[in-house]
Amino acid sequence: MNRLRSAFATVLLAGLAGGAVTTPLSAAPATPVPLPLYRVHVEGLACPFCAYGIEKKLSRLPGVRKVHTDLRSETVTVTMKPGATLKAGEVRKAVRAAGFTLKGFEPAGTKR
Amino acid sequence: MNRAARIGWGLAAVLVVLGVAAGRAWFPAAVEAPYRRVGSWGGAGTAPGRFRNPIGIAFDAGRVSVADSLNHRIQVFTPDGRFLRSIEVPDRGRPMNLAAAGGRVYAADYWNDDVLVFSSDGRLLRTFGTPGRSGSAPGEFNSPAGVAVGPKGNVFVADFYNQRVQELAPDGRFLRQWGHTGKKGYVPAGWFNYPIDVAVAPDGSVYVADGYNDRIQVFAADGRFLRKWGGPFAANLRGPFNGWFRTPTAVAIGPRGAVFVADQENDRIQKFTPEGRFLTAFGTVHRGPGYTETGVAVAPDGTVYTTNLIDDRVEVWRARGGR
Repeated sequence: MNRLRSAFATVLLAGLAGGAVTTPLSAAPATPVPLPLYRVHVEGLACPFCAYGIEKKLSRLPGVRKVHTDLRSETVTVTMKPGATLKAGEVRKAVRAAGFTLKGFEPAGTKR
Repeated sequence: MNRAARIGWGLAAVLVVLGVAAGRAWFPAAVEAPYRRVGSWGGAGTAPGRFRNPIGIAFDAGRVSVADSLNHRIQVFTPDGRFLRSIEVPDRGRPMNLAAAGGRVYAADYWNDDVLVFSSDGRLLRTFGTPGRSGSAPGEFNSPAGVAVGPKGNVFVADFYNQRVQELAPDGRFLRQWGHTGKKGYVPAGWFNYPIDVAVAPDGSVYVADGYNDRIQVFAADGRFLRKWGGPFAANLRGPFNGWFRTPTAVAIGPRGAVFVADQENDRIQKFTPEGRFLTAFGTVHRGPGYTETGVAVAPDGTVYTTNLIDDRVEVWRARGGR
């Protein structure tokens, strides 16, 4: 019985010790998931009314997390949700709905 | 001189006369000196008194209200630029052109498809349209860009993507509209190509900044079309000349009915008579990408307040040698 108690205590301690080893690992900060970025080029993006219009339409596309328009460089940067891709047809349609013509768009790396 | 030569000379004379007349009509000279800039405040940032894309501006009861669009707020200042208060626009809205009348501030919230009415102390009193839902039915909006208040308290809204200007009663009832819902028109009167702002004169005349048609259209209080201007025949032609526009983004009525137009992509404010005769132009030229003069408001003493979009500032202008 004593031997049994001792074995139980050993297993319990080992379990706790193992837990003590594994806990910090499971609590380590998760590696940030990369968010795909795209740069969209539209002609005549100087006025905020058209820029916000494009931002508004693009931000409603599936998979889009954030849209940022830079009036100085006349570019739109689209941040996607993890693993999502921006589809040409959808971008073209959104830009057209905003009253403009799409000049082009390309992947611009990722953001963490 | 034979008959053919006489006809030739006659035609040439007619062309010269027409050319001179067209030159005067389409390339008018200034009849007033440009206004001078007498003050400025702001700068980029989120602190009180700073801006991120200031767009609309309005003057009422000794207060200057500024639509600080990317900070999702309206900031209120004294006429000399002292910060008074900030009014938060709900749901991270983006306020565009403003109106101010009777101690109230009216904001076209482009992002949430509604028009908001605030009290002078910043309380939200009324919302026109359905927040967060665009629509094209009467009383609904699709990215409202500008707002004005008429002499009887009616509210006029430049309904950008619906290609129309709506007139609503003070309680929000739809009264009428100009333009054809969702359809662009480039040359004929009464059609719009993205209307951006609207102003109402004391006699009830309605002035519309017909943005991408690069012109101003004017309608009588009873709705009739009165006149339009902006380049030859106001027919969707843009240019840098006096009286022409490159995207008019705001319109305001000053003392004696003078019409002030923010001609954004020309970095200037243009001043006209109520009939559309060009008087003068002024503004801050930006050396680099982006444009300056975007919003305009006029105080009863004739002082002009403008928003300089790319520099994130408010500018104050006065006529040289008087009002």
